Amino acid sequence: MLRSSVLAAPVVLGGCASHGVTTQGRDIERLYNLFLAIAVVVWAVVTGLMLWSIVRYRRRGDELPPQIHGHNKLELTWTIIPTILVLVLFWATVQTQDRVTGPAGDADPVRVQVLAFQWQWQFTYLRPDGQPDVQVIGTTEKVPELVLPAGRTVRIRLASADVTHSFFVPRALFKRMAIPGRTSEFDMTFDRPGLYPGNCTQFCGLDHARMIFNVRVISAEQYRQWLTRQRAAGGTGT
Amino acid sequence: MRTSELERPSAPPPADRHRPRRPGVVDWVTTVDHKQIGILYVVTAFGFFMFGGVLAMLIRTELAEPGLQVMNADTYNQTFTMHGTVMVLLFAAQVTTGLANYFVPLQIGAADVAFPRMNALSYWLYLFGGLMVLSGYLTANGAARSGWTAYVPLSTEKYLQGAGQDLWIMGLAVVGMGGILGALNLVVTIFSGRMPGMTMFRMPLFTWTVLVNQLLILFAFPAITAALALLFLERNFGAAYFDPARGGDPVLWQHLFWFFGHPEVYIVILPAFGIMSEVIPVFSSKPLFGYRAMVFAVFAITALSFSVWAHHMFVTDAVNLPWFSIMSLLIAVPTGIKIFNWIGTMWRGAIRFTTAMLMALAFIAVFLIGGITGVFLASPPIDFDVNDTYYVVAHFHYVMVGGLLFALFAGLYYWFPKMTGRMLSERLGRLQFWLMFVGFNLTFFPQFILGLNGMPRRVADYLPGLGWDALNLASTVGGFLLGVSILPFLWNVYASLRRGRPAGDDPWEGFSLEWATSSPPPQHNFHELPEIRSERPVFDRRHAAAGAGAGGGDLGRDGGAGG
Repeated sequence: MLRSSVLAAPVVLGGCASHGVTTQGRDIERLYNLFLAIAVVVWAVVTGLMLWSIVRYRRRGDELPPQIHGHNKLELTWTIIPTILVLVLFWATVQTQDRVTGPAGDADPVRVQVLAFQWQWQFTYLRPDGQPDVQVIGTTEKVPELVLPAGRTVRIRLASADVTHSFFVPRALFKRMAIPGRTSEFDMTFDRPGLYPGNCTQFCGLDHARMIFNVRVISAEQYRQWLTRQRAAGGTGT
Repeated sequence: MRTSELERPSAPPPADRHRPRRPGVVDWVTTVDHKQIGILYVVTAFGFFMFGGVLAMLIRTELAEPGLQVMNADTYNQTFTMHGTVMVLLFAAQVTTGLANYFVPLQIGAADVAFPRMNALSYWLYLFGGLMVLSGYLTANGAARSGWTAYVPLSTEKYLQGAGQDLWIMGLAVVGMGGILGALNLVVTIFSGRMPGMTMFRMPLFTWTVLVNQLLILFAFPAITAALALLFLERNFGAAYFDPARGGDPVLWQHLFWFFGHPEVYIVILPAFGIMSEVIPVFSSKPLFGYRAMVFAVFAITALSFSVWAHHMFVTDAVNLPWFSIMSLLIAVPTGIKIFNWIGTMWRGAIRFTTAMLMALAFIAVFLIGGITGVFLASPPIDFDVNDTYYVVAHFHYVMVGGLLFALFAGLYYWFPKMTGRMLSERLGRLQFWLMFVGFNLTFFPQFILGLNGMPRRVADYLPGLGWDALNLASTVGGFLLGVSILPFLWNVYASLRRGRPAGDDPWEGFSLEWATSSPPPQHNFHELPEIRSERPVFDRRHAAAGAGAGGGDLGRDGGAGG
C-alpha cells in the first residue's frame, strides 16, 4: 500500500489520469495527456496575463486611464488561436475514439456478458457459439470477480436487469452505461496480470456505493485452468 | 437603431395610484414593485442556498472518512438529491433572476418591468414550488432520492415509492412555470421598455446577458416541464414513456433532461458573465474591452448551448459522439473571448481592489479552471474515463459554485449600496473573500484527483485503502471553510443595514443608469435621466461635468457626451 501511495504521489501532483492497463485505456491516457499539456499552457498564459494586469495596473492616482474600447487584431488573435487548438483536440479525439470504441481486431475474443442489477453484477462467459458457459454472480458477502486472461481481446456485452447502471474499471479508463432495454458491446484488452477494482458509476439507488466488483487478470494458461475448475464446480461461482 | 417611436417614460404621479405603500409584511406580500420583488427573489434564493449549503456540509461530513458515520445510505441519497436540486434549480437559476428583476429596469431607464403583477406571480410560483420540493421531507418516505437528474427508471414508481418524489416533480414544474412567466416579462421589458437613446448596443452587458439568459429559459424550460409531466404520468397513471418492456425508452428522459439541463448551465452562468462585465470595467475605470464581441460571444454560447446536450450522454452508446464533441469543444472559443476581454478591460486600467473586484478576479481564476476541464469532458474518450466520477463533480462545482458564487458576491458587494443605501464593510468583505477562495479550492481541487483516481460520484461510502482518504478529508476541511465564509457576509449585511455608512447615489463611480438615481431608488426609479450617448451614460455625465477628456487618452466614442 505504501509503495502504491509513493507511486501515486507524482500522479496526484501532476493531475494525471490513471495509468491504463488496457490497450484502449493507454490510448485514452495519451489523449488525456495531450489535453493536459495544452490545458496547462493555456492556464498558465491566461492566469499569467491576469496576474500581470492586477499587479501592473493597480490604481495609483486619480488620473483617468486611457479609455480603450477594444483592439481588433488582439481580439481576432484570441478567437483564431483557440479555434485552431480546439480543432486539433477534436482531430485527436476522433482518432482515439475510433480506436477505443471499434473492435480490437481479435478474431476470437473472450466473450463475457455483464448483467448489472440492483446492486450486484453477473458475469456470464459465452462460448464461441454464444451459448452461456461459466457464470459468476456477486453476493453481499463476496465481491464478484471478473476473471480475464491477459493479452487477449475481451468483448463485453453489457445489459441491465432493472435501472440504469454504469460499468467502470478505473485502471482501464473506461466505462459504459448499462441501460434497460439495450445491450452495448465494447472491447478491452488487458495486457498484464493484476487485480483491478471496478464499480457502478451511475447512481442506481440505495446501495449504489456497494455495487463494486474486481477484475482479476491472469495468464492465458491460468485462465484456461480457471474455466475448467469453474465448469467442474457446476458452472457458477462467485 | 430607431428609438424615436419609444416614449420617454413619464414620471408617475407622486402618490403611486395603483399601489399605496402598506406597512411591513403586508407591503412585501402584496408588492408588484420590481425592486421589492427582486429583493424577495434574492433573499429567498439565499435562504435556499443556506439550506443547500447545510446539506453540502452533511455530505462532506459523511465522506470525510470511509465508513458510514452520520447517516445511512438512504438519508445520504436524499441529501445529495436535495442538495443538487436546491442549489441548481432553486438557488443558482433564481438568484440572478432576482438581480435581473432589480437592475434591468434601472439599467434601461424603465419605471418597472412590463408586467408587474405577472412578475409577482412568478415570484410566488417560485417560492411555493420550491417549498413543495422541500415538503418531501415531511412525508413518510422522506424527500426525493433519485439525484437531481432523476434518471429513469430509478425515478419511476417501481423503484422509488413515496410522495417525496412526486412533490419534487410537481414542485419543479411549478417553479418552471414561474421561470417561463418571468422570462416573458424580462424579455418584453428589455425589448420594449428601454428609454429613448438606450439602443440595444448601448445596453449594459448585464442587461444583455439577462436578455439572452431569459430567452434560454423560454426555450429550455418547456423541455423539462414536458419531461416532468411524462415522469409524473409514468409514476402515477401507468404511462410507459420510459419503460422498455412496454415500448418506452429510458434514454428519452436523458435527452429531454439534458436538452434543458445543459442550457440550464448557461442560464446560471450568463448573468454571472454579465455581472463580471459590469464590475470589472467600473473598478478598472475603463470601458468594457470589445463590447460588441462580448455581446456576440454571448449569442454564440447560447446558440451552441442547444447543440451540446448529449455530451452528458457520451457513455450511453446511444448518441453521435463526434457531433456533440465538436459542438461542446467550440463553446470554449466564445467563452475564451469573454475571459480575454475581461483581462483586456483591466489592461492599462486603474484597478481598485474592492471586495467586489476581488470576487470578480476570483471568478476569472476559478472559472478558467472550470472551463478548461470542460474541454476535457467534451472529448468522448476522456469522458469514458471521468464521466460520473468526482472529476465531473469538481468540474461543475468550479463552474457553478466557483463561477456563479464568486460573480454573485461580486454583484452583491457592488449593488448592495444601491439596493439599501448603505455600504458593506470592506474589511469583512475581504475576510469573506479569502475564506471563500481558500475554502473553495481546498474543497474542489482534490476532487479532480479523486475523480482521476476513479472515485465515483453519488456514493455514501467508499472503501479504505484506495488512496482516497486524505483527499476526501482535505475536501471536507475545505468545505467547512467555505461554509464558514458565509458567516462574515451575513454579519456584514446585518451590521450594514443597522448602522452602515450611507452610500450616496454613486459610491463606485459607476457607468450604467442605476447609478444615476438615488440609493435605494424611488418607487418609480428615476426623477431625471441623463441623455444616453454611449453604453456608459453615467460615466459620460460625470466627465462632461468635469470637462470632457479629463485624464488624457483616447476617449473614443464617449467623448463629447452630454453636449
